[in-house]
Amino acid sequence: MNERETRMPGEEGKDGRVAGLLGDAASRLTPRGDPDELVERVLSRGTDRLFSCDSPLGEIYAAVGERGVRFVGRASSPDEFARRYRERFGRLLSWGTDGATRRLADRMVAALAGEKVEVQADLSGTTPFQRRVLEVVAGIPRGEVRPYAWVAREAGSPKASRAVGSVMANNPVPLLVPCHRVVKNDGTTGSYAFGAGEKVGLLRGEGVPVEEISGSPYLATPTTGIFCHATCRNARRIQPENRRRFRSSQAATKAGFRPCEVCRPVVTG
Amino acid sequence: MDGELGRESDLGSPDPLALRLAGGDPAAPRELVERHHAELYRYARILLRDTPAAEDAVQEAFSKAFAALGRYSGERIGAMRLRPWLYRIILNVVRNAWRDGRFEVPVAGTPEGGGGRCGVVPGVTGADEEAWMDVLWALGRLSERQRVAVSLRYLEDLPYAGISAATGWPENTCKTLVRRGIGRLGALLSDGSDEKEAVR
Repeated sequence: MNERETRMPGEEGKDGRVAGLLGDAASRLTPRGDPDELVERVLSRGTDRLFSCDSPLGEIYAAVGERGVRFVGRASSPDEFARRYRERFGRLLSWGTDGATRRLADRMVAALAGEKVEVQADLSGTTPFQRRVLEVVAGIPRGEVRPYAWVAREAGSPKASRAVGSVMANNPVPLLVPCHRVVKNDGTTGSYAFGAGEKVGLLRGEGVPVEEISGSPYLATPTTGIFCHATCRNARRIQPENRRRFRSSQAATKAGFRPCEVCRPVVTG
Repeated sequence: MDGELGRESDLGSPDPLALRLAGGDPAAPRELVERHHAELYRYARILLRDTPAAEDAVQEAFSKAFAALGRYSGERIGAMRLRPWLYRIILNVVRNAWRDGRFEVPVAGTPEGGGGRCGVVPGVTGADEEAWMDVLWALGRLSERQRVAVSLRYLEDLPYAGISAATGWPENTCKTLVRRGIGRLGALLSDGSDEKEAVR
């Protein structure tokens, strides 16, 4: 359908002149201000922003809302990542061409490289339990690991080890909330959303002695009578000749050691 | 205007931008804004007769549009005729502003009396400026429905199918409103000089 043909009869003549005047008026009503700024303002209000950056897992994508990073992951393309984001969060993603997103991207690269830089994560899309778990995990220092049972206890639900596992599997912001630092209760690394091998690689990269703690996640020293998670900063100071390895916290308590007050191992039974 | 692209989507053939939005292309939202913000502004400006209010309306319309697109399935987005849809959204935003009484449109008065505030192209002088300001003045004197229909037809260059999609009114109603609106505009512009003088 050619729209010129849809014009009504009688639009020639006087009405035609009116139409011409209207077209003329239209061409003169243009928005004020810098168009780029306007577009940027519309995008930052109506969409969440996307950036990609380098990470220990290779290229990753991150989605940023008003209150921080909401979603981090790998994807075959930016489009695929944005589709997944739309399905999960109900928001469109546009490239983060604004200054704030660019600065955030720089901070995120630094944080993932181990620098002490604050990157705000927005966990508002999670349940209260998920959020408590993710906040506990966010506090596990680089170079250290904690077992699922410990995370459950710290999150206020000591019996919820398995639920902690599923929160880890659905962590919206992996790396930023370092779910790779949560390991099985026997000290083996366990599974990971991006693959068990990636988890081992990440932990090694952070200086975790993966083989050493596998099967013996607790370390005690007779000099103080205290036992720790093997990666606790206190445990790492124990002289090699004083190190006593334990497979479980029960075994350590049975041997007469009490739990470290810094890393707070879970003691049951 | 940016005519051809928008026009295609008005007529229901697949809009490549709708397909890219559906596929998640993160460059597509920017293109949607770049493609339509000027014409939506112009339309809101005509209806609201206030520059900051029109700017706010454009912001709000895009926010609503993006929020809706975030909730829709890819399949639904890909089949959308974006241009009339956006006009429909901004008309609702404008109606809300009217309803709130924020921008009660006075029937009389010369809306362009404020001069430069409306974003006049520099260098326009004298008779030229007078002519198109008169047109805007006359538009402001049409009934709401006529003003909407005439603006969409002759300022925004939408075909009747697009006007119908943008307003929810039947196509024949749109044709009648445009015809009568244009007739009234003609009368206002050629014979309305007394009336104009009276309000000045």
